[in-house]
Amino acid sequence: MSTIVEVTGLRKRFGDIVAVEDVSFTIAEGEIFGLLGPNGAGKTTTISMVSCLLSADAGTITVNGHSTGRDPIGVKRSLGVVPQEIALYPTLTAAENLAFWGRMYGLSGADLKRAVDEALELAGLADRAKERVETYSGGMKRRINIAAGVLHTPKVLLMDEPTVGIDPQSRNHILDTVKRLNASGMTVLYTSHYMEEVEYLCDRIAIMDHGKIIAEGTLNQLRDVVGGMDVVTVKVDGLADETLDAARAIGGVEQLDRTDDTLQVLTRSSGSILGVLISTLESAGAHVVSVSVQEPDLESVFLHLTGKSLRD
Amino acid sequence: MRELFTIARKDAKVILRDKAAVLVMLAMPLGLIFILGSALGGIEESDAIDAKVAIVDLDAGETGALFVEALTGSEDIGNLFRIELGDDADAVRTDVERGDLTAALIIPRDLTERIAAGEPVALEVLQDPGSRVSAGVWAGVARAAVSAASSQIVFGRVLGEAVDVPGVAPAPPGDSAVPPQGAGGYVGPTLPMLTLDIVTVEPVEATIGTRISMIAYYSAGMTGMFLLFGSMFGAFAFLKERREQTLARVLTTPVSKTAVVGGKALGVFMIGAGQFLVLLLGTTMLFRVDWGADVAATVTLGLAEVFAAAGLAMTLAAVGKSERAVGGIGPALIMFFAATGGSMIPSAMLPEWLKPLQVVSPVWWSVNGFLDVMQGATLADVIGPAAAVAGIGAVLLVFGIWRLEYR
Repeated sequence: MSTIVEVTGLRKRFGDIVAVEDVSFTIAEGEIFGLLGPNGAGKTTTISMVSCLLSADAGTITVNGHSTGRDPIGVKRSLGVVPQEIALYPTLTAAENLAFWGRMYGLSGADLKRAVDEALELAGLADRAKERVETYSGGMKRRINIAAGVLHTPKVLLMDEPTVGIDPQSRNHILDTVKRLNASGMTVLYTSHYMEEVEYLCDRIAIMDHGKIIAEGTLNQLRDVVGGMDVVTVKVDGLADETLDAARAIGGVEQLDRTDDTLQVLTRSSGSILGVLISTLESAGAHVVSVSVQEPDLESVFLHLTGKSLRD
Repeated sequence: MRELFTIARKDAKVILRDKAAVLVMLAMPLGLIFILGSALGGIEESDAIDAKVAIVDLDAGETGALFVEALTGSEDIGNLFRIELGDDADAVRTDVERGDLTAALIIPRDLTERIAAGEPVALEVLQDPGSRVSAGVWAGVARAAVSAASSQIVFGRVLGEAVDVPGVAPAPPGDSAVPPQGAGGYVGPTLPMLTLDIVTVEPVEATIGTRISMIAYYSAGMTGMFLLFGSMFGAFAFLKERREQTLARVLTTPVSKTAVVGGKALGVFMIGAGQFLVLLLGTTMLFRVDWGADVAATVTLGLAEVFAAAGLAMTLAAVGKSERAVGGIGPALIMFFAATGGSMIPSAMLPEWLKPLQVVSPVWWSVNGFLDVMQGATLADVIGPAAAVAGIGAVLLVFGIWRLEYR
């Protein structure tokens, strides 16, 4: 597959804050590429530079053969953008909103009407097309928000946290929509801090933290980063700092991190260390509230690479 | 270019669906015009004008004094004008030009002689172009007073009292300008050819036609003021789009920033043009306001101010960083423009120190232009004020675009 998005050495600062530092990645045509990271990792800044909303301090971006620096209009013609916010006009109807965004991408006449109808079908809101968006639920707004980004059938779709703050039903609808769009040939750059979404959708994933890409690859490649280690999560009451040192000294514990009253342990032998870990904690006066063991996932990768949870 | 109209049309639609905006832009001005116009009544019947005027009597004879007496001796005129008597025509002329005086009447040096010789003579009324309503009323009052005084002279002569009328010499023998009176015929001395219109009053700055009623005055004033309110809603729309990220989304589409900002300004212009049309037709039909014979002149002035409103929208959006800030700055600025521009009270009644600021008020130019057209001015007469309004609009537009923040 040919490369349709190429980002090289991207850097962006806001005053003294480095938002994006030396970010590089490529996306192949027809791929769903995920940018995963906690809030403030630099995902939105990166996507804003790709969509020509922000100019980069350094680095180059090419989309569908067009450079953001030399040919931003060419880049924009190749893109559809679904922003994190519901960027719609609440006092206009869904059909009016879609028609407006379609016209902004040069659609008119019968083409525009067909595109609006298809977008409404995609959003599952054809029967409510003539209602003002302000009367919609959050999930319905999110769906129209996506429809507005795809009705001109762009080559590349940029989706920035498109499921923030919605109910599970709408979320599933959106994830299925992304799959369908991708199946129709659309390349997708998808950002999220929900690892489940990225795991479900993306062919390849880049994990970002503090403005940098700290790991990149397919889901399996990333899992290999933690070498098949499980994540043991222990909720504890009355945990003292000296107890942590004792727990870290347990054989088989590869990494141990604490967030408030929760311990996360990376280990290749969860079955054998679990009893020792609990007895160590209990004997030090702590009270173990709950214990869970997870197989390697993006959460454990992030934990392994950064020493903190994705949710932090 | 097509996208520019798409943005403008969308913005117009969004603003029009805002009930508060429609209320402020249409219902409020019509309501205020009705209330103010009804409460204050017509100019002719009220003493709403309290302008400072001057009379310079250069006449060596006594006819001039008779005219001065006709103007200063009237209690009604005294209620309308503060009349000063001067003796230096040039100084008074300068005062009028500076706006220190609303108007002045200059009685020429040889008035008595020329009347005696039966020659036509014109009195000069100087008018402050920025106070045309008051100055126009003064010209009318002066004309009426001079006519009354002239008729007194003629009447006196007809009754054979010509010798008692200062400055009017007996007519040469054989002059038969005045026909015999009564059954016995006229037996007194014959008179020179003196008629009621031998003395004319010539306004210097503008030809004053129809006097305007208060409801017409406030139709011009409120229209001038409320057209600018469209700018506030334009600025609100811009800032709201910026806050809600629709502006950012628009900027990710293949459209230039020029088209985006041009579309925004055009949206305000379209709304303002519609608002102007509604106010024009509304005041004409509801209050029977006569906006003047030259519709093109009125429309040109109105559209020039709507353009200024579009420029002001961009400046407000640039200066006020939030809708709340614009909600404070916008009305304050518009009220300043309206107060100095004569929307609330005739601008001639403003304190002297405020008058120099009037030139920066688009309302001042447009309201005076509207009033001039109501009084008979044509497009050619108001093209200057319209250009001034458009010029202010252009400055505001350029400044706004320069300072706008899109994110």
